Amino acid sequence: MSKAGLAQFQQVFIEESLEGLDTMESSLLALDNGGDGELVHTIFRAAHSIKGGAATFGFPEMSSFTHEAESLLDEVRSGKREIDGAIIELLLRTVDCLRNMFARAQAGEPLNDAVAEGLRNELAAMMGRGAPAAGVQARRNVDQADAWTVRFRPHAGMLAGGNEPLRLIRELAGIGELTVTPELDRIPEFAKLDPTECHLGWTIELKGPAKRADIAGVFDWVEDECDLAIEAKHIVAEVAAPVAAPASPAAPVANVADAGAARAQREASAESSSVRVSIDKIDGLINLVGELVITQSMLDTFREGDIDAARMAMLEHGLAQLARHTRELQESVMGIRMLPIASVFNRFPRMVRDISQKLGKQVKLELVGEQTELDKTVLEKIGDPMVHLVRNAIDHGLEMPDKRRASGKGDTGTLTLSASHRGGNIVVEVSDDGAGLNREAIVAKALQRGLIASGEGMSDEAVADLIFQPGFSTAAVTTDLSGRGVGMDVVRRNVSDLGGTVTIRSTQGKGSVFTITLPLTLAIIDGLTAAVGEERYIVPLVSIVESVQLKADAVRTVAGGGELFRFRNEYLPVIRLHDVFGCETSIRSIDEGLMVVVEGEGARVGLFVDGLIGQQQAVVKSLEANYRRVQGISGATILADGSVALIVDIAGLVRLQSRRKAA
Amino acid sequence: MGSKTNPQRKTGEARVIALPADFRLADLADVKAGLLQALEAPSVELDGAGVERVDTAALQLLLAFRRAASAQGLPASWVGVSETMRDAAGVLGLTQALELPATMPA
Repeated sequence: MSKAGLAQFQQVFIEESLEGLDTMESSLLALDNGGDGELVHTIFRAAHSIKGGAATFGFPEMSSFTHEAESLLDEVRSGKREIDGAIIELLLRTVDCLRNMFARAQAGEPLNDAVAEGLRNELAAMMGRGAPAAGVQARRNVDQADAWTVRFRPHAGMLAGGNEPLRLIRELAGIGELTVTPELDRIPEFAKLDPTECHLGWTIELKGPAKRADIAGVFDWVEDECDLAIEAKHIVAEVAAPVAAPASPAAPVANVADAGAARAQREASAESSSVRVSIDKIDGLINLVGELVITQSMLDTFREGDIDAARMAMLEHGLAQLARHTRELQESVMGIRMLPIASVFNRFPRMVRDISQKLGKQVKLELVGEQTELDKTVLEKIGDPMVHLVRNAIDHGLEMPDKRRASGKGDTGTLTLSASHRGGNIVVEVSDDGAGLNREAIVAKALQRGLIASGEGMSDEAVADLIFQPGFSTAAVTTDLSGRGVGMDVVRRNVSDLGGTVTIRSTQGKGSVFTITLPLTLAIIDGLTAAVGEERYIVPLVSIVESVQLKADAVRTVAGGGELFRFRNEYLPVIRLHDVFGCETSIRSIDEGLMVVVEGEGARVGLFVDGLIGQQQAVVKSLEANYRRVQGISGATILADGSVALIVDIAGLVRLQSRRKAA
Repeated sequence: MGSKTNPQRKTGEARVIALPADFRLADLADVKAGLLQALEAPSVELDGAGVERVDTAALQLLLAFRRAASAQGLPASWVGVSETMRDAAGVLGLTQALELPATMPA
């Protein structure tokens, strides 16, 4: 197969394997919470597919690594071993390690590292330890020995598959000294022999210290094409002694950070360029296109003949149908990009488990509305802000069990993630029944930082809003989870980059609710079309507060050249769009044009335009992809008359404005 | 070939089978046909001196052939064995079964 061809399949393999790992992880977590035995089979199957695929697609290290985990799972599956917390912990770390391996595979880096090697040994040690039939079983499963017996019987088709025992045995010879005894009794009569089939077998005695994994690694590629038995003859004393459960209690804890790193890597590569679409959606699309074709051919009949009143009515009916089908088609096509939020939610059970274990808190995670669909791009970007919120909720929000008892709550805190559709928006909430925001601490911190002059008379919302200020953290101790003061401001910025908002509702002693509101899709926005000279600009409707016509004297020029106007008891800066974007216009006087009050980045400004033309839905086209990035513009769209209108990026304009002010 | 008796058997001459340079799975059908014919000769000499590449399937074929020959009481001897072949047979533990001569005159 060509290299490019193999690479393409590798990509598919990696994507499928990552899904398999997700399945393994969620099943392991379910097992941890007392799920049924069927889950073990699910986990085993996922591991088995990854192992097989890895061998096929040229990742022998990954294959032999997974093999260890699979062997362990096999013992559990066949009832030889009871699954317990230690095994689940080990397998979860195996999942993380494999994710890392896939990330490295994609980056073209070597797959094995110290972590993988360590885990492999732990897995093997787990296998070697305390298996039921202590004598024989332990001997067979021991990981390291001075001498091994390898029984290797290729299936008839192995040679034709291009796998050569010569090569395998030579490779074995690299591990230790071999004594090779062939088995010749299965060779058929010469006349009947198909020379392409293999009827030989070997018993190979291997001398010299070797690990089971190294020997098994030689046969990775042919595992399904031969009968293979590897047995230890002499056991290295110290390893054979039953190995105690995971080295020290510190090990799993230290691993939380690793898990985080693994996840970060995974997230980095999460913005994949393909999307899986359900057959139902495709069928729906085909159906709609069919309708469209019928309507089109119906309209086609109007090419010929005069149009009288009756035919006119039919024509109008046809056009109405065309409009409806086009709209439905548009909605369906947009629907292709819509995916359930479950893929984001699913990463949290593991994270919550790891963090709560580390902090010694008891947390119950509830997921609501996992099937809520939203745009793939939004989906991929909402993960990070949610991770921040969930970490914060466990670290700062939920209290330790004793403190919870003292305040009359149950030991176990509840963290709820929910998603729902509200109008054209999706609302994601992260709520906890913890301590809630500490108003005094926030006010004190804000005073100390000079963010506010006094906490007197501030509403709870205003106080809560303070935590979105850059560098704001009230956590007494900076933990490695949260409290570094980078967090909430990043959350707010990430969300506003997606055209959404974050708000907090918090009751001291009862808990907090963080609400993220996001547009369903980034591909279509509702906007007002504004005229500036000959140009048309689209102002996103979500940002618009109000538009007002001002008198010329309502605007004051302040020192430094900025302009301000009074709007409902506050002074707002004026941004003249014709100035910012350099358009020729005859309308420069404030009373001739219109002031559109908009909100972005938590600030309000007035956009001065010639006038507003109307409201419309705009299909967003990337300006960056077609031209280059322009400050203050988030994209472009095509108007009904075929001309191009630019879409104003309110947040960008506000940033631009404050930078000017600073300059 | 077929049912016709091989003339060489009558003349009592040994049949020499020169094994191909690329003595591997893909070309074994031809070699097998030659060996099948050779079973009808009064004696066979195998010449593996020219073998540059060899695989398990090829050695297995020779094993089966030598078995068939000895079952018929047909003398089969080696007139040449290349290093490659000797090495491969050694790795697979087949040196003895193939009755490879300990050393061959150069």
